[in-house]
Amino acid sequence: MTVLYSSTVTEIGELVPTFVAEGMLVFFGEGAPEELKTFCIIHRVEHKEGQVKPGDRVSIDDHSFEVLAVGSVANDNLYNLGHLNLKADGNNEADLPGDVCIAQVELPEITIGTKLEITRSN
Amino acid sequence: MADYKAVKIDKGPGGWGGPLTIKPTADRPYIYSVTGGGIHPLAARIAELTGGEAFDGFSSSKPFDQIAVAVIDCGGTARIGVYPMKKVPTVDIHATSPAGPLAMFITEDLLVTGVKLDNINPA
Repeated sequence: MTVLYSSTVTEIGELVPTFVAEGMLVFFGEGAPEELKTFCIIHRVEHKEGQVKPGDRVSIDDHSFEVLAVGSVANDNLYNLGHLNLKADGNNEADLPGDVCIAQVELPEITIGTKLEITRSN
Repeated sequence: MADYKAVKIDKGPGGWGGPLTIKPTADRPYIYSVTGGGIHPLAARIAELTGGEAFDGFSSSKPFDQIAVAVIDCGGTARIGVYPMKKVPTVDIHATSPAGPLAMFITEDLLVTGVKLDNINPA
């Protein structure tokens, strides 16, 4: 198994539940402007390599989800800004260029210290 | 005292919203680039034509009420709504349409998308 990306949640904005209610988690790296932090999960990126693609797995603590679709700018966002729009919409094609899609599941609770990991089975 | 000029920004191919007319003022001088990796060429172009000051939002922040226009490279969910929600005119380099929980704040007079350098012209 290859770890493509790993990070730890350091801050949770007050509007994050609004996005969770619509089935999405919005992550941003620690350098994000203050105004973005109100609705974002801020995380410290510890490791990044390679490009995320469908079939990879996103893990949030002990919960693991298969990546179904990756939007055209999602990898740029992830690597340049630590920015990830994770959507539990079950789409096999990303609606929006920034989306990373997983099955329609109930999203796990995010707390300070939550571990995010994106992996590929070899 | 800077001499500010207006620019008109049209949507690009497949884009949404606009056109926006942007003219910085002494109170709202900043062309705010929220794109990562420094000042985006679109923000630099708007600053050059208007006399506004290009500013990298990832280096530090400015209050919403000092931003003449925000330039973003948003994939459609988050940044696309944050600045319109605060009534800050917003330019997305990607050809996205309003979506996500913040879509209700986004109107054609606050957002223009798919913008290329050619879409920015003196008003």
